[in-house]
Amino acid sequence: MVRKTVKVLLVGEAAREHAIAEAICRSRLDPKLYAAMKLNNPGIASLCKITGGEVILGDYQNPEFVVETAKKHHVDFVFVGPEEPLFRGVSDELEKEGIPCIGAKRKPAELEMSKAFMRRLMWKHRIPGRLRFMAFSNVEDAIAYIKEYAESVALKPARQAGGKGVKVIADLQAYLTSEKTHVKEEHAKAIDEKYMKDYTDIEDRILIEERVEGPEYTLQTFTDGRTVKPLPLVQDNKNAFEMDIGPETGGMGSIAGKGMLLPFVTEEEYRRSVEIVKSCVRAVEKETGEKYKGIVSGQMMCTVSWGPTIIEFYSRLGDPEAVNVLPILETDLIEICEAIIEERLNKIKMKFKEVATVVKCIAPKGYPEERNLAKGHPVHINEETIKKRGCKVYYASTNLQPNGKIISGGSRLVEIFGTGKTIPEAGRKVEECIPYVWLEDGWGVFHRSDIGSEQLLEKRIEQANLIRAVYKYRAKKGLIGKTVEWIPKKGKIILET
Amino acid sequence: MGGVVGIYGFSKEWRMARFLYYSLLALQHRGQENCGIVTFNGESLVQYKAEGLVDQVFSKPETLENLPGWVGIGSVTSTPEEDPSKIQPVIVSEPVPVALCFDGKILNLKELAEKENLNEDTDAEFLAKLFSIELEKTGRPTEAMSNLMMKVKGAYSLIALTGKGEMVACRDRFGIKPLAIGSFGFDYGVVASESCVMDVIGADFKNDIQPGEMYFFDAYSIERKQVLESKPKFCAFEYVYYARPDSIVNGKSIYEVRMKIGEKLAEEHAVNKGEVVLGVPETAIPFAVAYSNKTKTPLGIGFVQTGRRIRSAIKPTEFERIVGVQLKLNPIRSAIAGKVTVLIDDSVVRGTTTKNTVNQMRNKMGAKEVHVRIGSPRLVAPCPFGTDVPEKDELIAANLKTEEVSKVVGADTFYWLSLKGLVEAIGIPRKNLCLGCFTGKYPLDGEKNG
Repeated sequence: MVRKTVKVLLVGEAAREHAIAEAICRSRLDPKLYAAMKLNNPGIASLCKITGGEVILGDYQNPEFVVETAKKHHVDFVFVGPEEPLFRGVSDELEKEGIPCIGAKRKPAELEMSKAFMRRLMWKHRIPGRLRFMAFSNVEDAIAYIKEYAESVALKPARQAGGKGVKVIADLQAYLTSEKTHVKEEHAKAIDEKYMKDYTDIEDRILIEERVEGPEYTLQTFTDGRTVKPLPLVQDNKNAFEMDIGPETGGMGSIAGKGMLLPFVTEEEYRRSVEIVKSCVRAVEKETGEKYKGIVSGQMMCTVSWGPTIIEFYSRLGDPEAVNVLPILETDLIEICEAIIEERLNKIKMKFKEVATVVKCIAPKGYPEERNLAKGHPVHINEETIKKRGCKVYYASTNLQPNGKIISGGSRLVEIFGTGKTIPEAGRKVEECIPYVWLEDGWGVFHRSDIGSEQLLEKRIEQANLIRAVYKYRAKKGLIGKTVEWIPKKGKIILET
Repeated sequence: MGGVVGIYGFSKEWRMARFLYYSLLALQHRGQENCGIVTFNGESLVQYKAEGLVDQVFSKPETLENLPGWVGIGSVTSTPEEDPSKIQPVIVSEPVPVALCFDGKILNLKELAEKENLNEDTDAEFLAKLFSIELEKTGRPTEAMSNLMMKVKGAYSLIALTGKGEMVACRDRFGIKPLAIGSFGFDYGVVASESCVMDVIGADFKNDIQPGEMYFFDAYSIERKQVLESKPKFCAFEYVYYARPDSIVNGKSIYEVRMKIGEKLAEEHAVNKGEVVLGVPETAIPFAVAYSNKTKTPLGIGFVQTGRRIRSAIKPTEFERIVGVQLKLNPIRSAIAGKVTVLIDDSVVRGTTTKNTVNQMRNKMGAKEVHVRIGSPRLVAPCPFGTDVPEKDELIAANLKTEEVSKVVGADTFYWLSLKGLVEAIGIPRKNLCLGCFTGKYPLDGEKNG
């Protein structure tokens, strides 16, 4: 049977979308790639050109623009990379025009958009891996709560705000509580005035969650609303600098494999993580009446309270996490997309190359706190040499100019992907490619040389073993999902976690 | 001797003075004469420092409240300063403002001062001035500090703050004095003499700063640079006495090393019919525990402390040392009377404190026998790197044979740990340790000879 060309419109322009674009273009179904982008990502632009598609620059967060573009080019379906277009109803508007979309509709996407909705959902449906939380619709109430209950908490914008504005404060030394309380109050104000400033689409403003600690990992999955198909687990590294020091970034690099597990996650923890994501997908449909179709990823942590625990949900693939897994996906991505659209994902067998992968991000100095300093520099990327060394470049915040120059956009420049028999082997390969990316005007770039190293991996394993021993002890005592306290003059209290 | 700390907050709502204060409390054992904190308030450097212990100097709440800012450095030292402006961290305002504190000793100060045309008094003032000059010249803190590191010879674990609120920390090529780095979530980075600081302020210890390495913190980056080739010569006395047992220094747990020292003492010089083992608080307690475990001699608690915890050995005058020891070591009669006792201490400098203790045990408490075991080799030479070891003529081990020392202190038997035993207990190759106070041979000699 001869099939006609499959036309795909990809929305977004980060390294994640570059990896999606590449996986689409690997399809045996003669793909033609169209890309709706704000910045002209050189990697995606090149794939559009090769497949005979086109780059359409514009504001893809605007559903009208996406629908018009899709209609104009008669695409077979749209693949939405980032979350914000989903929150603004791109998927819903496309459906009205009969154009299928890989990406959740507005209501199911609330699983990511509203962190308060997500927590309420998990509590209502008694899904394991939930955390205690309080949601506030005004900053005064949040501050009053902070003042009265000084404790270890995570303060978050109640809505997904481009991954920014989360602050986790361990408040364990009574003698430092005054300073921690001050920072919590200031941050609650910052959430209200800065991070939530542009958002009026949900009622809650500030979320205060119990703070947990443990090794984190991302479980990315495809779903058609009935079946959930997991991708290999990935761990991202959020601190800007080596040894997990420095401010939070969107991620400085990530590790995976080989196989579906990470070296510090057990088979059983993996199985339970998948179960949690499945339960949430079912719960979303019950709650919203809409099937969750597209991508759902659990940003997870192994904690003493539960073992696998949900920190946040993504209605998209992670970045850089997508870059670990899409290049080793052996199943045809367009076939997967069609199966999602037609709700027959259960028939798809997901296959991945049996290798470990490491992704390292290179960012201009200034990222993440002073992005205006990181922006506007001419970028040099010696892609040929990196390829010769067996690694691949995925373009991130880079803007291809009409004159062929590439200019930095203020966020991470590129993500370099490499494989190996083990994570450290892949890490070493990627590390050797770092010198082939620089800024032509001499402005500095940085990356984390420790990502993928034996040393960092050992630290993660050590931490996971510690946490595992505690949650197993708690399980033995029947304490999973609850805390037993004894309060003088009040007596025994069982708190649900 | 001293202890240093620097904390860099990654967002401006942090107020670091209180964190610095508790860090200095955690470093109090490294210096008890004076202390100070300098913070960057967003515009300039502000300071508070004075003679006294950390909780005395900062006893009033407003002292910390008057030190706003998300970045700051602090130090404790064991060197008395008559002029308060000389207390570390020192601030220099010309040619450009900087603050600086360090633990160590500069060896080529005179030579460098002539060359650079400087006439600063103390090592810290000299370093601060040199850094300020280099900073004005290069305009870049990393380059300025690299230049300083290349010029200065000696031991230094150093932290400096620029007038723009940038922080630089570095360690000399031998890494003689300890220096560690840690962090707290996405919120702040911390550099400190010992990892126990991180525990006390709730941060995570990450690693030792390597010999010859420099770290730079500013609003948008942390840079790490190997400025000088690393030639580790870690101070062995840190393991015997200086560092806290809850610290990890140069990758080695102080507690574990001290337990091994106790085992080595048991292997080398066990007392046959010992009836109780007593460690001199606090440093020698792990030695005694391990000695007891190894020899199956029961462990006792021999002494109770009165008043504040004082590190008697680093007090500047003989009188203060004696007062310190007497208050620290009130013997418990029932633990000692009528028994063959094994008394374990970390070191013997002049012999006076050991003599005092043994006399009390024998003459007043009625110990049947007192066998002294010392968890370090014979202390025979002073320290050119700023550790408070006196000159040769004040060191009993440099002047008397062991049998004579035994008679002076009044012990039945008296033994030092062997040098080999110490090196094995530390677990770092001998060539990577400074054992100068036990051998009289210092790392810099080798350098001079080529």
